[in-house]
Order: sequence, then C-alpha cells, then structure tokens
Amino acid sequence: MRIKAQVCMVMNLDKCIGCHTCSITCKNVWTNRPGAEYMYFNNVETKPGIGYPKNWEDQEKWKGGWEVDGGELVLKSGSKLGRLLKLFYHPEQPEMDDYYEPWTYDYETLITSPRKKHQPVARPRSLISQRRMEIKWGPNWNDDLAGGDDVRQDINLKKIGEEIALEFNDIFMKYLPRNCNHCLNPACVAACPSGAIYKREEDGVVLVSQDICRGWRHCVPACPYKKIYYNWKTNKAEKCTFCYPRLENGLPTVCTDTCVGRIRYMGVLLYDMNGVADAAKTSDPKMIYAQMLGLIKDPNDPEVIESARREGVSEAVLNAAKVSPVYQLIKGWNLALPLHPEFRTLPMVWYIPPLSPIAKKFEDKVYLPQSEAMRIPVAYLAQLFTAGNTQIILQVLQRLLDMRTVMRCKEVGEAPPQNLEFDAYEYEKMYKLLAIAKYSERIKLPAGLQGKTHEELRELQGSAGYVCPGGFC
Amino acid sequence: MSGFFWGALPYIALATLVVGTAYRYAAGERGWSTKSSEFLAKDSLKVPIWLFHLGLLMAFGGHVIGILIPKSITDGVGISEHLYHIIALSGGIPAGILFLGGFFLLMRRRFDNPRMKVNTSTSDGLLYFVLFLALITGFGGTLLNAVGLLGDFNYREAISPWFRSVLAMSPDVSLMADVPIIFKCHLLCAMATMIIFPWTRLVHCLTGIVAPFELLTRSNIIYRRK
Repeated sequence: MRIKAQVCMVMNLDKCIGCHTCSITCKNVWTNRPGAEYMYFNNVETKPGIGYPKNWEDQEKWKGGWEVDGGELVLKSGSKLGRLLKLFYHPEQPEMDDYYEPWTYDYETLITSPRKKHQPVARPRSLISQRRMEIKWGPNWNDDLAGGDDVRQDINLKKIGEEIALEFNDIFMKYLPRNCNHCLNPACVAACPSGAIYKREEDGVVLVSQDICRGWRHCVPACPYKKIYYNWKTNKAEKCTFCYPRLENGLPTVCTDTCVGRIRYMGVLLYDMNGVADAAKTSDPKMIYAQMLGLIKDPNDPEVIESARREGVSEAVLNAAKVSPVYQLIKGWNLALPLHPEFRTLPMVWYIPPLSPIAKKFEDKVYLPQSEAMRIPVAYLAQLFTAGNTQIILQVLQRLLDMRTVMRCKEVGEAPPQNLEFDAYEYEKMYKLLAIAKYSERIKLPAGLQGKTHEELRELQGSAGYVCPGGFC
Repeated sequence: MSGFFWGALPYIALATLVVGTAYRYAAGERGWSTKSSEFLAKDSLKVPIWLFHLGLLMAFGGHVIGILIPKSITDGVGISEHLYHIIALSGGIPAGILFLGGFFLLMRRRFDNPRMKVNTSTSDGLLYFVLFLALITGFGGTLLNAVGLLGDFNYREAISPWFRSVLAMSPDVSLMADVPIIFKCHLLCAMATMIIFPWTRLVHCLTGIVAPFELLTRSNIIYRRK
C-alpha cells in the first residue's frame, strides 16, 4: 500500500440549474487571453447533446483514453512508436471548428454610426482572423436542447438505442458541468512526447509545464474528456489547473466558490497508488467504478494513516481527509459516480446523478416516484456514469429518494417507511450536506502548500502564468 | 572578400547556431515550440507536411553523404564518377521534388488561409524566404550541373573538401574560387539558415530528435513534487 492524497470534487447534478456561472468566472480568471479565446477549462453542457467540442464522447472518432489490449493498458491512440509517427500530422486531433471560431462584435459601430433610418447593428467579427464572420457554431449551441437534430447525435442516446428517448411527451434533459477530472491514470500525461504534463504528488492536480511543452499536441486527442486545449497563439497546451494557486492557500477552485446552486463539493481523498494500474485494467468496464471505490481508503484507518505519513502526506492533509465531504459522498453513501469510467483514466471529479420529474407514462399512478419512473432514463444515466450498469444508478437514485421521503415524513409528522437502508439520522446528515450544503460543510481543504503570503502573491499578479518571457512566441 | 565569406562566415554561423540555441533554451524555453498549426487548418496539412519533412530528411541525408564522404573513399571502393552521380541524382531529384512540392503546398496553405495568416510571425516569414532561396539554389544548381550547363564542375572536388577544411578548423578558401555562383548562393543560404536557426521555429527539429527518446524511455504517468 502506498497512500497518496488527491484533491477531489463532487458535483451534485440534482441541483445544477445550468446557469454557467462556473464557466464564466473560470473564463474570466483563466482563459480571457489571445489564443485561449475558444477555451473553456470549465463548461456546462445540456445532456442529451453533443457537447464541447462536438461529440467529445465518441472515442471511435477521437481515440481518447485507454484500452486493454492483451491484458496490457495501452493508449487508444496507439503504441509509443505508432504515436511518434503522428508527430507531424495527428489524424485524431480536433481543430478549431470542432469547438467553434471565437468572435466578438463591432460594438463601435453603435457609437460611430451616422444618423440613419434604422438602428446601427454590431456585427460579429472573428477573434482569429479579425474578419467579419457568420456565426455557425458556438459554446452551448445545444443549450437546453436547442437544435434538435444535433441533440439526437448524442452518442449516449445512440448506445441505449431507445426510440422513445426523445419522444415529445417524455423529452428529458439535465446539465453536466465539466472541468478537468485530474485523473488518477491520466491519458494526457502518458501521451505527451516531451513529458511536460505531470501529476502533482501533494494534491494530485494534473498540470502542463508551459516551459517543457513543445506543442506536439498529442495530449489533446488523448484526453477522452477533451479537457486539454491547444493555444494557437503561444503554441502550447493548456488545461484546467484546479485553481492550484487557490488550493495551496486552502481555497476551493473558482468554479466551486462561485457556484450559485452550491452543487460543488471539494475535499481530500486518500488512495492507494499501487492499485491504480490494476483498477484501470479491469476487464469489465462496468466493474471499474467498484475498483475505483476499492482504491479509495478509509482516512481513519491507522494503517492507511501510517502509510500516508511514510509517503510524506502532511498532517493538515490527513486531517482534511478525515472530515472530507467528498469521501462521505463517494464512499460513505455511494452517491457520487465517475463520469465515463469506461475511458479508464479513473477521473477524480465525481457526479451525483440527478432525480427528475415523473415520466408521463407513470404520471397518473404514483405520487412519489420510484427511481425507474423518472423522466431521465436510467439507461441514459448509466451510459454517462457507470459504463451501462443500471443497477448502480437505481441504487443511487433510490437513496436520494429515500432521503426525500424521510425528510418529508419528518416535516408532515408521519412515521418514516420501514426497510430503509440507513437510519433516520444518516438521512438527515445526507440532507444537511446535499440540501443545505453550507460552504464550510461542502469545502474542506487543507491550507499550507503555498509558502508565499497573500501579499507576495499579489505582487506576482500579471508576471506569472501563460505570458511569454523572452519574446520568442 | 572571399576570405570573409568562406573563411570567417562559416564560423560566425556555427557559433551563432550553438550559442544562440543555448541562449534561447536558457532564456526563452517557454516560447520553444513546434508551432503546430494543425489546430487552425487540419485538412490542408495532412499530405504536404509529410512531403515536406520526408523531402527535407532525404535531402539532409544526401548532403551529409555528399559532403562528409571524401571522393577518395568512394573511388577506393570502386564507385565510378558516373555511377556516383546516378546514385546521387536518383536520391536527390525525388528528394528535391518532395521538398519543393511540400514547401509550395505548405506556403499556399499558410498565405491563402486567413486564419493561418494571423499565426504567421515575422520570423516565420524570414525563415520561409531563406528556406525558399536555399531550395531554389540547391535544387536548381544540382539540375543545371547534371545537364552540364555549369561546365565540368564537380562539387566533390571543391565544396566538399572546403567544407571538411572548415570542420578541421583550417579553411582552404582557394577551393571556393571556381565554384559557380549558384552554389555560392546556396552556401550563403545555408549559413543564413544557421544564423537565424535559434531565433525561429526551426528549433523544433532539435525537440523532434529528443522527443522519441523521452517518450520511449519514460514511464506512462509522471509524478512531480511541487
């Protein structure tokens, strides 16, 4: 056993309202620069929908993530030698039009226009070529199921193959906020020909060294979540940093901090580093989730603590792990699930699947629905979070429903139903963490990784990061 | 004047190449990149990039053989002058066609596409200009020489020994006296390329040599302390 610490995030999709506040605050902090205009380190997608970039989940197209070949874990994008041949031209690399061409508007015409019969118009202008352009696609083009035909291209829908999935009466949707998963078995790290991407030992954050990166861009197709981006101006790869300068000071990421729905939880997990490869190699993709749970160790187990200390995990981190809300959600109550575990990167951003209204066909029969009677098909959620294992989804949804039932009974003074999995006290704890979701309960991060004070950090503003010292860009 | 061009300039170029590259690495590693433009225009890159790099590697290999292997050695193993030229041209002409064809297609792509124009820096423009001159003079000189329009000039009796004398740190400038102007231009282009090498995207060819070793020898997942 070799215990390492991982800073981890859980998103409670049951409460996501799709407001994009996380995307906007993230963009204002990290990607409002030339070359990064098209990047969203964090974005919110409507599901079903093809997402950003288009059809990112279709690994037959992008060859992202890992596969098991003869018992060995290999990148889907090919062997090391095969990948070296792709240094010149990478057939699976997404290009700008797979995301969208970023634009601004000619706002100035609104002020400088001479007096005319009609109001002046601010026309769109490309941020790349600076020419007038016609907008053909953009971030969140599919927002709230806009563009029905595109929505139907969602590969998860195709896989469950249900004709009824988008029938008018039972149309369904949910939101899926996404940022880098800071995987335990990151494909981007493995794909980099220059060894520029690494996983930090202290907190598991996956970062691109802007100095070592040579712009070979192999990480972009290799990441199955398409959460690593190529900056066309600096010619280097960039990705979500988990706001590490904030993490080091015990603060959560910007997306977590600003989430108005309070859906994001952050805390520390302790995991066994030695088991990572075996978990990723699990032959049945439906079992990867269970293997991931096996990797995550009990932070109160003395043996685990001792091993963590041996590996140099600090006391502050160990203490944070003991009160970790994400541990409670992932392993305590088994409510949170990994996104597309079949990609085999062992993602460390987890999702609590959402409840949804009663499906039309069950509407007359039930008052409080059972988990299979809800609009979002269980099979669809299973495609997203369990590689198709519907049993796990049903279990999670049932626990969320039970929590509601218990709290309802308490409110109206009825006796709670019999045969519940947990006792009433446990459901109340669940309710407090999920429904009340106080900031101090949702976020338990250790401070102390950063040696610099706030004042010293402020002096560094504008001098660090993605700028280009030396002027050779 | 010829003393400067063929006695001093080669060393200036070589020193700029080595010192400049080291300086660039130390001072501006963050700007060191392949400058890949596949993201901006993918389809038009697919074939030309291969033509260009394949032609370039073949041409480079041909230069190494032609310059570094003395005529006495090929004569010694019984390769006649005629046979040597047939071998050289049968490799050199395809290389030149690939190289020039790839270059033409890449330039068309770069200057025809509004997105690509934005991503073309001044140093890129300078590099393409020098590279174009080097290509034209090299390929043109070889063809003219092959059909006999340059008289009975044999570069293996003039340029190659001169180059080796430069490498041996005792440049024999007199060897360059009767070299046709087109080859002199080609040599000047080559030295210009060495001088601008550290300040352009050309540095990526060093990374291209290092990357395979880096990738093949390391473990898949890299952990690093803060």
